[in-house]
Amino acid sequence: MTTEQHASSSVGNIDEDAYVKAPTGLAALGAGALEFVVAGRMLYSVFVKTLYYTVRGVRRPGAIAQQMYEIGNRSMVFLFVVMGFIGMILVYQAGIQTKRVVPDLSLLGATFLELLVRDLAASIGALMLATRVGAGIAAEIGSMVVTEQVDALRMCAADPVDYLLKPRFIASIVMTTVLITLAAGVAFGTGMWTGYAFFDINPRTFVNMSMVDAGDLTVGLTKCIAYGAAIPVVSGYCGLTTFGGSEGVGWATTRAVVNSSLSVIILNFFISGAGFLVFGG
Amino acid sequence: MIELRGIVKSFGRPVLRDITMHVPAGCLYGLIGPGASGKSVLLKIVTGLMRPDAGSVHIDGRDVLSMTDLELQEFRKRIGMLFQNNALFDFMTVAENIAFPLRRLFDLPEPEIRERVAERLACVSLPGFEGRMPSGLSGGQKKRVGVARATVIQAPIVLYDEPAAGLDPVTSQKIFDLLRAEQQASGATVLMVSSDLDRMLTVTDRVGMMYKGRLIFDGTTAEAYASDDPFVHQFVHGIPEGPL
Repeated sequence: MTTEQHASSSVGNIDEDAYVKAPTGLAALGAGALEFVVAGRMLYSVFVKTLYYTVRGVRRPGAIAQQMYEIGNRSMVFLFVVMGFIGMILVYQAGIQTKRVVPDLSLLGATFLELLVRDLAASIGALMLATRVGAGIAAEIGSMVVTEQVDALRMCAADPVDYLLKPRFIASIVMTTVLITLAAGVAFGTGMWTGYAFFDINPRTFVNMSMVDAGDLTVGLTKCIAYGAAIPVVSGYCGLTTFGGSEGVGWATTRAVVNSSLSVIILNFFISGAGFLVFGG
Repeated sequence: MIELRGIVKSFGRPVLRDITMHVPAGCLYGLIGPGASGKSVLLKIVTGLMRPDAGSVHIDGRDVLSMTDLELQEFRKRIGMLFQNNALFDFMTVAENIAFPLRRLFDLPEPEIRERVAERLACVSLPGFEGRMPSGLSGGQKKRVGVARATVIQAPIVLYDEPAAGLDPVTSQKIFDLLRAEQQASGATVLMVSSDLDRMLTVTDRVGMMYKGRLIFDGTTAEAYASDDPFVHQFVHGIPEGPL
């Protein structure tokens, strides 16, 4: 028997190019839609599991506090600087535009505060957190996936959603709310300074809470909680679905930032709409 | 006993093609083959970490693929695994890494956990390394900590993915001898993947060779050495020229 005969008898007829061909045209569109639906279902499943483990999961002393430090304390300077400048820019631009129509800027502070409470502080703050916190969560969990640490967790009967995602989920909800509240204060403070410096608005006039009602506070708080929940779930899902090596981690990080930001915008639309229907404009 | 039937797995291209394999109870089975032949994927399918596109996996008569997540978690108390990349948790110390399966899977008192961790570390020649972080270890030391973690629960089924990668020849032989001694003492069923053929084949009872997603040889270690199959012969004897 020749070597070639031996080879074919033991290995058999292997088609080395038996790659599954990528779909084209309409099939590609259908495949993309299916992929989107599957990803949506998986994301939903991760969210439900996270909620389940938040109630029933294993308690790890210090895990939530550590994540609160990572998510909260380490984002503080970044968020405050951004919101400080946003406050200055908005009041400056609003002041200039308003002065073209009416010379009276006495309600600038009141409207600015309502805008901050109802929408702007939560949305801008959450978008900033989506870039910093979302990227961090996806990179950390993604690198654990490619180094098989997540598989090792599963082998030890530790669900990665319980072990990795739940502490980040709880910490993110708490810290997003706290950070955004503080950041709103910073933005209002810098806005007040801008009003005084450029438009000569007395700070006592600027600090006017007459336009902020319970509806604004409810909508603002709901947004903080929803964004705080969405960022770690979306980013964690991106991290857990990492595939490949360091390139895969890079893609997961990019997807986490894009998808977390998108989720903030979409949630903003729905919560604002619901708030408008319930509390009015 | 591990029994695989008609396992097929594809990641865009076929990775495993109709693998049927039987690892008898109490056997130390070595899985060999060139890189990217599907060995590590096969190990993950055995543990239920990865689902095949087709086929069945039975361990000690239980169908792994039909288990729910909770059943799998319970079942994994019976499986120890060393991963190819060691998979040490980089946020835990060496002792915490080794103790992790004990804490998660069993309700043991802390003094016993500490004792078993120290005993495992002594077995892999790393006594006193309890407080070190994985980032401060060499590749070989990480591998040995991984071996300690895989063996600490004394599971009846143990899977090793490259237990000697990155180790010097002496430590490598020590590790294989240790794994063999433990397997003989516990009677565990062991499925081992290693590229260090010379040393691995000194401890295995049976050998399977994979090539391009197929199991092309299954027999005793002696039969592997004596095989006249050109693929097996070339691979086992490390001959540069041949069909591989």
